Amino acid sequence: MTATQSLLIVLFAPLVSAGLIALFLRRSGVVASMVSVAAAGLICVFSLSAIRGMGAEGLTASMEWLKVGEFSISMGFLFDDTAATMLAMVAFVGLLIHLFSLGYMKTDPSRGRFFGGLSIFMFSMLGIVLADNLIMIFVFWELVGFSSYMLIGHYLNTEEAAAASKKAFIVNRVGDFGFLIGIVFAFWHFETTSLTEMAAMMNADPALISATIAALLMCGFIGKSAQFPLHVWLPDAMAGPTPVSALIHAATMVAAGVYFLIRIDFLFPAEVLTLIAGLGTAVAVYAGFCAYGQNDIKKILAYSTLSQLGYMAAAFGLGYPGVALFHLITHAFFKALLFLGAGSVIHGCHHEQDIFKMGGLLKKMPITAITFFLGTLALCGFYGLSGFYSKDAILIAANLGNPLLFGLLTLGAFLTAGYMGRLLWIAFLGQPKSDAASHAKESPLVMTVPLIILAVLSVVGGYTDLWPEQLGGLIKYDLDHLHHAEGYKAAHKMVLILGTAAWVVGLVVAYFFYGAGAKEDRLQKMAAPVYGFLKSKLWFDEIYNFYVAKIQQRVAELLNFIDLFLIKGIFVRGSAGLVGLVGMCAKSLHVGNIHGYVYWFLAGVVLLWAAAAGIIGF
Amino acid sequence: MGFTDSNSYLLLASVLIPLLAGAVLMLSGGFSRSVIRGLAAVGFIAPLLIALNLCASFEPSMVGGYNFELKLPTGLESIGIYLHMGLNGISMPLYLLAGIVGLAAGLYAMYSKADRPHAYLALMLFMLSGLMGTFASIDVFFFYFFHEFALIPTFIMIGLWGGAGRRGAAIEMTIYLTLGALLSLLGLIALYVQTGADSFSLPVLRDYLAAQPLADTVQHNIFALLLFGFGILVSLFPFHSWAPKGYAVAPSGAAMLHAGVLKKFGLYGLLQIAAPLLPAGGADWFPWIVWLALGNILIIGLVTMAQRDLKMMLGYSSVMHMGYAFLGIATFSIVGAGGALLMMLAHGLSVALLFMLATCIYHRSGTFDMSEMGGLAAKTPILCGFFVAATMASIGLPGFANFWGEFTIFVALGETAKTQWIIFPAALGIIISAIYGLRAVANIFYGPPKADFVAKLEDPAIKDLQLNERIPAGVLILALLVIGIFPKLLSDNANLELAEIFDGPSQASLVSATEANLNEVLSEEGTQR
Amino acid sequence: MTVGINAFILVAGLLFVIGLLGVLLRKNTLIIYMSLELMLNAVNLALVAFSRYNNTMDGNMFVFFIITVAAAEVAVGLAIIVALFRRRQTVMVDGLNAMSR
Repeated sequence: MTATQSLLIVLFAPLVSAGLIALFLRRSGVVASMVSVAAAGLICVFSLSAIRGMGAEGLTASMEWLKVGEFSISMGFLFDDTAATMLAMVAFVGLLIHLFSLGYMKTDPSRGRFFGGLSIFMFSMLGIVLADNLIMIFVFWELVGFSSYMLIGHYLNTEEAAAASKKAFIVNRVGDFGFLIGIVFAFWHFETTSLTEMAAMMNADPALISATIAALLMCGFIGKSAQFPLHVWLPDAMAGPTPVSALIHAATMVAAGVYFLIRIDFLFPAEVLTLIAGLGTAVAVYAGFCAYGQNDIKKILAYSTLSQLGYMAAAFGLGYPGVALFHLITHAFFKALLFLGAGSVIHGCHHEQDIFKMGGLLKKMPITAITFFLGTLALCGFYGLSGFYSKDAILIAANLGNPLLFGLLTLGAFLTAGYMGRLLWIAFLGQPKSDAASHAKESPLVMTVPLIILAVLSVVGGYTDLWPEQLGGLIKYDLDHLHHAEGYKAAHKMVLILGTAAWVVGLVVAYFFYGAGAKEDRLQKMAAPVYGFLKSKLWFDEIYNFYVAKIQQRVAELLNFIDLFLIKGIFVRGSAGLVGLVGMCAKSLHVGNIHGYVYWFLAGVVLLWAAAAGIIGF
Repeated sequence: MGFTDSNSYLLLASVLIPLLAGAVLMLSGGFSRSVIRGLAAVGFIAPLLIALNLCASFEPSMVGGYNFELKLPTGLESIGIYLHMGLNGISMPLYLLAGIVGLAAGLYAMYSKADRPHAYLALMLFMLSGLMGTFASIDVFFFYFFHEFALIPTFIMIGLWGGAGRRGAAIEMTIYLTLGALLSLLGLIALYVQTGADSFSLPVLRDYLAAQPLADTVQHNIFALLLFGFGILVSLFPFHSWAPKGYAVAPSGAAMLHAGVLKKFGLYGLLQIAAPLLPAGGADWFPWIVWLALGNILIIGLVTMAQRDLKMMLGYSSVMHMGYAFLGIATFSIVGAGGALLMMLAHGLSVALLFMLATCIYHRSGTFDMSEMGGLAAKTPILCGFFVAATMASIGLPGFANFWGEFTIFVALGETAKTQWIIFPAALGIIISAIYGLRAVANIFYGPPKADFVAKLEDPAIKDLQLNERIPAGVLILALLVIGIFPKLLSDNANLELAEIFDGPSQASLVSATEANLNEVLSEEGTQR
Repeated sequence: MTVGINAFILVAGLLFVIGLLGVLLRKNTLIIYMSLELMLNAVNLALVAFSRYNNTMDGNMFVFFIITVAAAEVAVGLAIIVALFRRRQTVMVDGLNAMSR
């Protein structure tokens, strides 16, 4: 079987699964979940087969999809080492999360819909990974948005899920607004949207670079990867089931924005790159602070995700797309692990999500606790774990590139360790603080095995030398590039010291400040205004809500009023009234008496005669 | 130039079968329900089968552009009127649209609970007959005639079977649409007189005008008549106020057929008649079209957001989406017109589906007020699934046909520096439509039910979508998906015709070139691109 | 003695004016109707006279048509009046003013 055929199977297996579930298996949750997991398994197997068969140059294949005049759209694969790396990650993490879901969603009555959603998500995500042109990316980009909408809204009878799913879709649409226009401009600029053709043209003539197009395309990334100022949807998206948060809002979909940037990195001029680096760093620090104001275990992880996406954006903006991809992959491992761990905790605690109502889980759920601990260490950059290598590379790149960004990103690392320490010590140590927590039990094997596998990956995933040779070409190239940069040695030493200090200080301070298994937030008690400020998240939600409710909706209602009053009321009714008035006058001539009509007739005759005789002229 | 084969008579049959079925139904009040349904089914299904059959044997590279030509005398030959039918790349998709929506609306209406079902179905069959005829006509006279023929049953249906406030809405709609039709008729007659070809046949007019175009001022004036005449029929801002209220009170069958298909007549007229015949006039009026179309997208888009009544919202959203089609046509380019064509088709399918589902929701909730519902998804998951799909289609999710229409129109706008700025305001529409679309879904289906709605939801009579509702909805969704996934099916057929319209005049003016040569030239051009 | 054309025109004119005044002044539909017939016949008289003095058949032709049409009109008109009477119990034009409403 050729690699192209394998890729076709990879792409369409989940679509078939979603179709089957939507048409026939809505009510039979068990079969639906089996079908969906089988599809995920197929993806994994055939991804490996495609990666083995791809050859050194990668492969491309495409066919024309729509042609109107000189505008034509094609659909095709651009399967190079970047795509292969991403595919391997998505396929593998996706399969683990599917397996985990089997346990997590076991008692959910609408499992069919859930697994159908997962399948359609896998289809859309793989489409982005494999796409060879901007339009195809956009098509699957929107589909990813749709599947995320479906999955966030899974618990659709709650107000929260209804609002969050709507918000996620609309905020993403705002980003896609720029993305869409960017594609149109790019099409007329390059007369193609194919990634390879555009790259070739840019190589031939670097003057083709356009900051407008790059900035517009960047909007798509900002929406999907939840960067400033469109980051507001991601924390709310935690209203979805936890495996969804792991799959979509940690490991794959939000990372798709970064992946998209890496795919089109040749389009970016320096000023846009700087902008992206700045935005990313800002989010990295901002989200780090916000996490301290959250008590919901998933929301803390959501802000952590935002912050890590900021790191990826910073790496990309600093000119190291490979490093961004590296952090994307390692982050996928440990963040999926953390979310699934959180899912396991929530499952064990009967859907209790407040960390101050947990406690003592280390004894009750040892596997979950230990894997969660490993994931935390990886996230904080413990020496030798996967997160250390990728974060280390980003900090070195920042150190070499821009001291301000370096300072902020290092601050971000301290913050990360702090809020993760807070989460870890409060939720897992001490004594149970609620009934739910005291009755917690370790989750079944189908949930803990994915945790263990992900924990192993989080530990060893950073050793790029151990990766199969087909994968991570760009990462290895950029890392190599970084290692040979001027001043690398000194930067490396500094980052090593600071990075280690960050996690040690963060975890230790969190332990002593909050205390193991604390019952309440000490920061809230000691410095309420500070805590309130952190909890407010700079009032983004309030500002947007104000805009939506008080400005947008008011304008809409005003226009509605104008439409009804001015256009319909005055123009339409007015002209109807005018006609009516003429009718009233004419009506008064109709006296109803036959003699009246005869007189009118005679008058008409006289008038006609006068006109004919020339007495009155027209 | 054309020739008549058995397929040509199928074209005529697609008009006559629903007409006859309708006439028999109308004259016979006493048939049993099953006979009525059987007769109506024949009338609704036959046109779609014919349309699919013709679509399958359609040859885009046919000489002269028209397939299945049929030319019958009418007794009015002296002024150049023939019953001249045929399909080209532009009319074929719309002909098919009429067939699909006709079937869906018909199937839904057959099992609706309207009183006097025979008259209701008969009027729908008359409408369908007129719709099939409009898009199958080459002769401008019959193109107009069939439109009016389909329009009149709409008024009657709204007047007799409409919801609350039908009287005012029916009168407003009648006057407005008659005015629009009258203006466009004046335009068409002026075109006939000014051309001096003594023919209403579209290809004759086209060849004639390509050889000797009308003076610019004449073009300007005739285009104005056609633009505003057709514009009123398509609810161009600010002549839209008939649409939302009209659709809100219309019975589902009339709303589906009118909003879905009949409304496209105006755009079709602009695309098939005004744009190719009066290029200079179109260029003059370009800024007007753009500003008014932006009015459709932005102003009406925001107005849509303020609606609480589901059907009013759908009516306004349908007005809003017409703005894109106008923009597509206004670019006077192959890409833009192709996008507009895709948009017309996609919008027709999705809006018909939404109006149908709105009625289905009403039958379950007893209200159209979205702020009084909520939580319907738990009770009716399939209805929710269909409604979400239809909403996603109408807000342009890829995979559904609407996306390609909108996207292609944006691409067309980006082509020249003169139109590039329009993309920014126009693309805001994709955000606006997402907001009101998803808000509607969330208000109706998601979240906890509103206080008064809880008791209503417990009614065991509320069932999920029944088979008689699922089949028409499924037909429409399927059509949206097929075009959404394989847009090439349509665009390939339309390309040649569009190329002839928008690139053609210079070549077509070489009157010496025989038609066959001309076609060769064009098809070569098509393959080069 | 021969009667001059002027005499015919005078008589026809008088008849026409009588008819016209009848139409204008009488209230009874039946009388108005008869007055209308009188006006028609005044025209007939004039036409025949013209025909005779011009030695052509044109006028006579017209008269035939007018007589035919008038006959048909009478048939319809009287039927309408009878129907009207049955419905309204009156044929006075004062009562027949539904058009004003």
